[in-house]
Amino acid sequence: MADLRVNICGVELKNPVIPASGTFGFGREFDGIYDISVLGGVATKGLTLEPRLGNPVPRIAESRGVILNAVGLQNPGVEAFIEHDLAWLKSKTRVVANVAGRTLEDYAGICARLDGLVDFIELNISCPNVRSGGMAFGIRACDVKEVTHVAKSALKKTPLIVKLSPNVESIAANARAAEEGGADCISLINTLTGMAIDIERRKPIIANNTGGVSGAGVKPIAVRMVYEASHAVTIPVIGMGGITCAEDAIEFLMAGASAVQVGTQNFTDTLACPKIIQGISAWCDRHGVEKVSELTNTLKLN
Amino acid sequence: MREVTATVLENVQIAENIYSLTFATEEEISVRPGQFCMLGVAGYPLRRPIAICKAERKRFTVCYQLKGGGTKSLATNYTKGEKLSVLLPLGNGFFVKPEEKKVAIVGGGVGIFPLISAIRAFAGEKEIFAYMGFRNKEAVCMEYEMQRGKSLTLCTDDGSLGFHGNAVQAFMKEVNEVRPDVVLSCGPTPMLRALKAAMQGRDIPTFVSLEERMGCGIGACLVCVCDRTGGTNARVCKDGPVFEIGEVEL
Ligand SMILES: Cc1cc2nc3c(=O)[nH]c(=O)nc-3n(C[C@H](O)[C@H](O)[C@H](O)COP(=O)(O)OP(=O)(O)OC[C@H]3O[C@@H](n4cnc5c(N)ncnc54)[C@H](O)[C@@H]3O)c2cc1C
Ligand SMILES: Cc1cc2nc3c(=O)[nH]c(=O)nc-3n(C[C@H](O)[C@H](O)[C@H](O)COP(=O)(O)O)c2cc1C
Ligand code: FES
Repeated sequence: MADLRVNICGVELKNPVIPASGTFGFGREFDGIYDISVLGGVATKGLTLEPRLGNPVPRIAESRGVILNAVGLQNPGVEAFIEHDLAWLKSKTRVVANVAGRTLEDYAGICARLDGLVDFIELNISCPNVRSGGMAFGIRACDVKEVTHVAKSALKKTPLIVKLSPNVESIAANARAAEEGGADCISLINTLTGMAIDIERRKPIIANNTGGVSGAGVKPIAVRMVYEASHAVTIPVIGMGGITCAEDAIEFLMAGASAVQVGTQNFTDTLACPKIIQGISAWCDRHGVEKVSELTNTLKLN
Repeated sequence: MREVTATVLENVQIAENIYSLTFATEEEISVRPGQFCMLGVAGYPLRRPIAICKAERKRFTVCYQLKGGGTKSLATNYTKGEKLSVLLPLGNGFFVKPEEKKVAIVGGGVGIFPLISAIRAFAGEKEIFAYMGFRNKEAVCMEYEMQRGKSLTLCTDDGSLGFHGNAVQAFMKEVNEVRPDVVLSCGPTPMLRALKAAMQGRDIPTFVSLEERMGCGIGACLVCVCDRTGGTNARVCKDGPVFEIGEVEL
């Protein structure tokens, strides 16, 4: 049996597979189907300081090999999460608290609130920045550095993961900006902005008009971006985007990731994460790989 | 709620654009009336939510209308012996209190299918008055199942069979005579809105089963919400699909 443990920023995960933010709630519903303590960790639904109701419906659409979503960060607020879910989730597995905000102060506030309570904080910077006229924090390298610095300054104990947006000019530049801003780790990719149209109604299917594209079809883009980002920084990388099976996850590890997240596939196959964990283990055994961590960044370019 | 591999026993057309699909499962599944399942259709990232019409020990039946790619693939690619992954049973389902003896059932379009499970479940112990609406005569199906109650009024939009009009209109003509203790409904939103308006001030508990696009189907992703009166929202897949009609904005 291969050793599946990975160590990220000094925190040990029992395996490198983490369900991605927004597809897994706080884990309770999936725990009704399988014991989520088999997971390396859980990335929570995006949390904000105040509860949010999110966007109007429809919030989801499908296109070949991908889905689009615009949930709009509906969540009960960080206090409700701490009160009702955190202790339970911690008793199960590592907690990656995904957080979002509208202003730099929001990010500082929520990071300060969660510092020391969770295993990682994952900064979702694909949210509109009120002060920049709604342009997302994660687009320009200078903004990435600034929001990372503000978040990091609010943290004394918990390692900071900055989750990069793929809707950018240079993923390498933004990865570097996150590292310079003080990130302990980066994760990518968040969703790509897209649109799907109902031609009978001549209207976008999603009420929000545009939505974030995810699922199997985005994988080659995500693998390329993980490769470029991981070669631009020295901090660890968590890779995601279109992972459906163990072989997909292994591509991300080889491209430079130390762990992976699985999002959309949780919808397609509720048991996706445990199957991927087993599949990685079996692949390692077949290939004589003793430790899964040995796979990271082993790509040989042509 | 669990994920099972189901084997197709039969997948047959029962009306214009409507198919009935019966599965066998390895384990017994217990399902409440009004609960649904999510069918995994190969090649489609999202599972399709479909009401469970009938469930008997190790087999269950769903009825689906051809809409887009997913349901078309179901009709063409899933012949006897094919397997698919199904998540079930999902949602809350219909609850009728022991003291509620007379149950009115008001359905339209694909909304008749979850109601058939209610008719089957309650027919023995309750007096059921069913009002079921279809576009036209060709669309009528499952009459045998709908007839299990005390009365069945079929309605067609074009008057080609039964009552000329929709199920809400047919029901409202008889509501004072029937005096139901509870109303269960499912159908297109305009129909549910008409029912809500018509039931206003009548003091008869009325429950509706809602539809919304879904991601996870189990309450985790917050994709499928409906507005609650009072400014909050609820997950159709987990808190519903059945809601008290006054509790939701339609
Ligand atoms: C709780 C519930 C029970 C249902 N029960 C039945 C039933 O018993 N019989 C039946 O014929 N239909 C039922 N529906 C509607 C059925 O889910 C859709 O018609 C079906 O998903 C369409 O899939 P498609 O691939 O053919 O269409 P497409 O339009 O290609 O589907 C694209 C995406 O939109 C979703 N979608 C499209 N229309 C709907 C809709 N009306 N509701 C929810 N999602 C939708 C699909 O699931 C898919 O994710 C039910 C819906 C819900 C929410
Ligand atoms: C329904 C849905 C909700 C999401 N919500 C969030 C969120 O709250 N915060 C976040 O950082 N990413 C969110 N994401 C993005 C995912 O975490 C992930 O980055 C993306 O879906 C790519 O992975 P995948 O292709 O495996 O789904 C969401 C994705 C989906 C499908
Ligand atoms: S479909 Fe995910 S919460 Fe309802």
